[in-house]
Amino acid sequence: MRRFKHYDACTLDEAVSLLQEFDGKANVIAGGTDIVGLLKDNALAESPEALINIKNVPGLDYVREEDNMLKIGPLALLEDLAHNKLLQDNYPALAEAARRTASPHIREMGTIGGNICQFSRCWYYRLPNNRFNCIRKGGKDCYAEEGENRYHSIFGNVKDCLAVHPSDTAPALIALEAKVKTTKRVIEMADFYQTEEVKKFSVLDSDEIVVEIQIPKPAGNTKSKFEKFALRKSIDFPVVNCASKVEFDGNVVKKAKICLNAVFVNPYVPKKAEEYLEGKALEPETVEAAAQLALQDAKPLTKNEYKIEIAKSLIKKTLLACK
Amino acid sequence: MNKKLGIMEIEPLVRDRYIQDEFEIIGKRGLTRMCGIEKASGRAEYTRDVKLPGMVYCRILPSPYAHAKIKSMNTEKAEALPGVRAVLRYDDPELADKPLYGLETKFNAGHLASDGQAFYHGKEELAVTLEQWKQGAGRILDGVAWWEGHPVGAAVAADTPELAEEALGLIEIEWEELPLVLNPMDALKPGAPLAAPEINSKNNIIRKLKIEHGDVEKGFKEADKVIKFDARRRPYTVAEAEPISDVILWRGDNVEIWAHQQQAYDGKMLFALKMGLPLNKIKLHIPYQGSQFGGGGNPMMHHTHGVHIISGILSRRLGRPVKTFYDRRDTFYNLSQDADCYTSFRVGFKEDGTITAVKIDNICAKMGQYGIDHFEENTRIPNLALNYLEANINVAPAYWFRCEQNHNALCLSLVFEHVAAELGMDPTIVALKNDGVEGKDMEYLSKFKKEHGFPDRDSLGECIEVGKKAIDWDNKWHKPGTKVLPNGKLHGMGFTWTHEWDDTRGTACAGVLMHCDGTVDILSQKSDDGLNAMTTHCQIVAEEMGLKLADVNFRMFEDVGFQMMTPDGSCNLAVDAYVTRNAAREAKQKLLEYATTPIKLIDIEYPPVFPNNYPDDLDVKDSVVFLKSDPSINCPVAEVVKRATLNQGGTRAPLFTWSWHRQGRYGTERGRHRMCRQAYFAEVEVDPGTGGVEVKKIVNVNDVGLAISPETCEGQQYGGDYMGVGRALAEEVIYDPKTGVKLNGNLLDYKVWTMRDIDTTVNHLVETGMGYGAYGLNGIGECIATVVPGVIGAAIYNAIGEWVDDHPMTPDKVLKAISKAKRGGLR
Amino acid sequence: MAENNGGAKKVSLKINNQEYGIVVEPHWTLREVIHDKLGLTGTKEMCDHGACGSCTVIMNGRPILSCMTLAIECEGKVIETVEIVDIEKHPLVMAYANNHAMQCGYCTPGFVMTAKALLDRNPNPGEEDIKDALEGNICRCGTYPAHIGAILEASTKLEGGK
Repeated sequence: MRRFKHYDACTLDEAVSLLQEFDGKANVIAGGTDIVGLLKDNALAESPEALINIKNVPGLDYVREEDNMLKIGPLALLEDLAHNKLLQDNYPALAEAARRTASPHIREMGTIGGNICQFSRCWYYRLPNNRFNCIRKGGKDCYAEEGENRYHSIFGNVKDCLAVHPSDTAPALIALEAKVKTTKRVIEMADFYQTEEVKKFSVLDSDEIVVEIQIPKPAGNTKSKFEKFALRKSIDFPVVNCASKVEFDGNVVKKAKICLNAVFVNPYVPKKAEEYLEGKALEPETVEAAAQLALQDAKPLTKNEYKIEIAKSLIKKTLLACK
Repeated sequence: MNKKLGIMEIEPLVRDRYIQDEFEIIGKRGLTRMCGIEKASGRAEYTRDVKLPGMVYCRILPSPYAHAKIKSMNTEKAEALPGVRAVLRYDDPELADKPLYGLETKFNAGHLASDGQAFYHGKEELAVTLEQWKQGAGRILDGVAWWEGHPVGAAVAADTPELAEEALGLIEIEWEELPLVLNPMDALKPGAPLAAPEINSKNNIIRKLKIEHGDVEKGFKEADKVIKFDARRRPYTVAEAEPISDVILWRGDNVEIWAHQQQAYDGKMLFALKMGLPLNKIKLHIPYQGSQFGGGGNPMMHHTHGVHIISGILSRRLGRPVKTFYDRRDTFYNLSQDADCYTSFRVGFKEDGTITAVKIDNICAKMGQYGIDHFEENTRIPNLALNYLEANINVAPAYWFRCEQNHNALCLSLVFEHVAAELGMDPTIVALKNDGVEGKDMEYLSKFKKEHGFPDRDSLGECIEVGKKAIDWDNKWHKPGTKVLPNGKLHGMGFTWTHEWDDTRGTACAGVLMHCDGTVDILSQKSDDGLNAMTTHCQIVAEEMGLKLADVNFRMFEDVGFQMMTPDGSCNLAVDAYVTRNAAREAKQKLLEYATTPIKLIDIEYPPVFPNNYPDDLDVKDSVVFLKSDPSINCPVAEVVKRATLNQGGTRAPLFTWSWHRQGRYGTERGRHRMCRQAYFAEVEVDPGTGGVEVKKIVNVNDVGLAISPETCEGQQYGGDYMGVGRALAEEVIYDPKTGVKLNGNLLDYKVWTMRDIDTTVNHLVETGMGYGAYGLNGIGECIATVVPGVIGAAIYNAIGEWVDDHPMTPDKVLKAISKAKRGGLR
Repeated sequence: MAENNGGAKKVSLKINNQEYGIVVEPHWTLREVIHDKLGLTGTKEMCDHGACGSCTVIMNGRPILSCMTLAIECEGKVIETVEIVDIEKHPLVMAYANNHAMQCGYCTPGFVMTAKALLDRNPNPGEEDIKDALEGNICRCGTYPAHIGAILEASTKLEGGK
């Protein structure tokens, strides 16, 4: 494992201060299930010099409804979120996404803050000793383009990178129209990943920490669902996942929010499909049409065309389940 | 049962003559697994846990390139790192006289088997010299890499594992990258890059083989229909539980080895040969082993002796114990991976399901299995032909694991399924139609059984009947692609079969030692990697000696010089049960002699416990010796032994016997017909939207001859199911096509099946007594994961109406097949 | 700034009701410390990357992966390793042995600790609860079906004991 310095922060201010001191060369560590793996493999071109542990900062794992929204602390554990009654009743897409993340043990360690900020799982990116110094690590190439890309993006690249975003909770949060509050600002979850810097996996500055997830309380006649497809029923990252939230007006759709993940570099919102569904009933034909629209812009690579079918299937499943 | 069986008596084609009518302990359920308490409480010791005072840790450099030469190597920085104790270079003098693996031993080293599997009656055509062929798995430490991850260049010993790893990173190598080839079909194209010019400087062919029985062209002419189809099986790997390591320690000119291998004795022999040591100066410890299914225990794999030699050299240099260990990624290179295979079939058959001819063209990467064996061994098909070719490519060595029948079982399954599908017939009927042996039918086999003392039972018929009932086959099986469930999924039922593979070959010996308190130790090389040999051999000894099971143990984790045939592995009970059985019978005879013979010293005579009797007057039950004519006259075994051993002038020398057994069958020896069969059934639901396959139920029916421990047999059944379904649906070694770098060398990206991934497994054991093993047992465990991909493939076909003959049957391939079925008009 | 200036630190680990004081480097995992430094070899290394559950220990009541946990962050945590089931003669041990819920045994400590964490929270689990809890534990031997019976048997002993 790479060596690094380790600091325990007692407050968020202390954590930010340490991050500033290391000027981009330090990382926050929460559950550790992502960063520890990267360090074990020495996968990065530039590994962090220091880890700032924020687990000792008290009071960051809450789940409560307040100000007409659900507020979740960044250190809330995924296993706790999966079994939280409030989430299961009113924000089921998120409860299910948390429940389907990784394995029970990882969920007992992993936090929602860490889950939305996680690094890429592309196998070229993750190979030990920086075997492929790819674009996301400061190199020049994306090795998946002409390589083994069965799990990579079906919607093209972002700055030449084709690796998909692997989170299960992120698409649920986007479909639920969540916001992310940090030590500096409040960001729409849908904008959280629109970063210009290829080496980063979110818009967070190197000295910025997530302090709260905020989800607007859904209107009374709203349902949300999450579905995940993977080769195994546990442990695996998604091959494709999908979260949908539908607000009804009578028996037609008033507003639909759909978010796919593991299909693109960032979680993918098929806006045309969302717009199409407004004013329509959720019947097999409309749902089919929405799914086709959602994948209209797909640009599969040499080995991942099958993900288009899976994505369509999950969109249909989640929408019909919201009926 | 007091018949004395001659130790050297070998009856390879005859059923065990001396089987008792009833058993007290053999065959019983509800016996606590003897190794279970240790394992469940974390007290079982594995090689990975072994830590000796002063021990250093050694890592071997894995090549970053799939084909490259070391032009120069500078190890100074590595050597200078504080905590690094030694660096062994590939060009060091200690390695000068030992470049190749196991050359001088009875084993055909390199990448091919020692046991005749690879050699079919001398009909192989090596495209290379024998010397070159033996090098196939590489050298102990080489200056040329033939695959990414190949252990080359240097090995570093340091105070901690992380220092060893760090030191590897400080070795400066100038590499000459060479052209590489990663696919056997590409390797055979004219002008293809040479994967290993040192092995073959002309082309990439390693070995060719042609087999013919009868006349296939005539068989095709006689057929009502002839079909052609292709299949692909991509490589999968052991992914063993415990990453392999060893520990070596010199004590003067003696050596202690802690080894994690199935045949550690062979590793010991190779070490002795290479290091110039006599065998009697080696003490071998074989701790518990994380499962490796034979893929971590073969003498010609690098870890088996390459690693030992490296540890041995470094330990001798340093005067300290050395542990050489693989990390998880290393295990993906250095343990078995079953080959990439491209297979073409041509099959002729009649309308009633009788198959008249089968022709197989099989191209494998590096080393595979022929594909024709099961047709030869358990069908009446008279006309068979095989063209087989191995092509060298720049990937890690291929070697089979659980078991070497992978491709043979799959080929049989594919042919039968395709024939049944073409005819629209129930595949169980096609199977029964063609059951037989060596081109002869069941009538012939029935005669053979009678002539050789076996019960004459229709094993396949019985297995199929049990299995059909268990899965409700007659009600649930339907025409392919015709059943959509209310949940929208496509329902499918599958069946497959083959013989219950018995790897009954080789020799074994074991001792039975009775302590002066009447408890017994079985002495033989252990290799506990999960097959419960400990309990089952104790059951045999307890049964034969009339002891309580609690009085028998089998926990020598040191090699005492008695070697069992692939202990705890392939040939376990099928061969080794004879040996413990025979040793136990001898021990019982000795015990009864002790009980009836006075001990005469010079002036004193000690009377025996039963002074007026002969051994035949007595028997033993529940660890009590008793007079048969009046069981109220009895004495605990402990007392008998104590009196016999203590009345010898103060010594406590235990009672000791040993036995030796040799089994007749050797690999492909003709005439030793396989009579036990197995039948597997599966029920799946295929999601037409995602290509995902849910395995709802697998029914395992295996004719084990006789089950010594039913729970152990069942453990092999459901355990093999999980590995088999993983192989069928997801297990695949994945390389970057440009560089040959292994992309999924970890347990997240290489998919080992979880608890959730099969709904239900149903286990049935049939006991026809038609095995060649002791008590008529056959054995189980090898050929389960081998057949499951076939049954899942058949079930998927039944669900979709289109074949997915490309394993693993991942969602992309299933979706393609569904598309094709839709275009074909199904549903 | 922290006293250790980001480097090695002495931590006090509470393992199986014993206290162990040890100086740990930041990059040492809890598993390495438990297995290599403290000699509690029951906690196994199988995948070393958090994908198999073999290194499971119970920390403050939760089943977690010791190979993905930094030892330097474990000050004051209450930790149980598999050795505790031997020390306490927990019914899981006999139940596992009786039900053949192991073959090679290498993954067994991870399963047993995951099962213990389940039973500590819920002494009367159903089959689905057991599968939910154990779905992250990998067994290459494929012993999975046997674990259900083993854990149910252990739970009857626990309930009876109460």
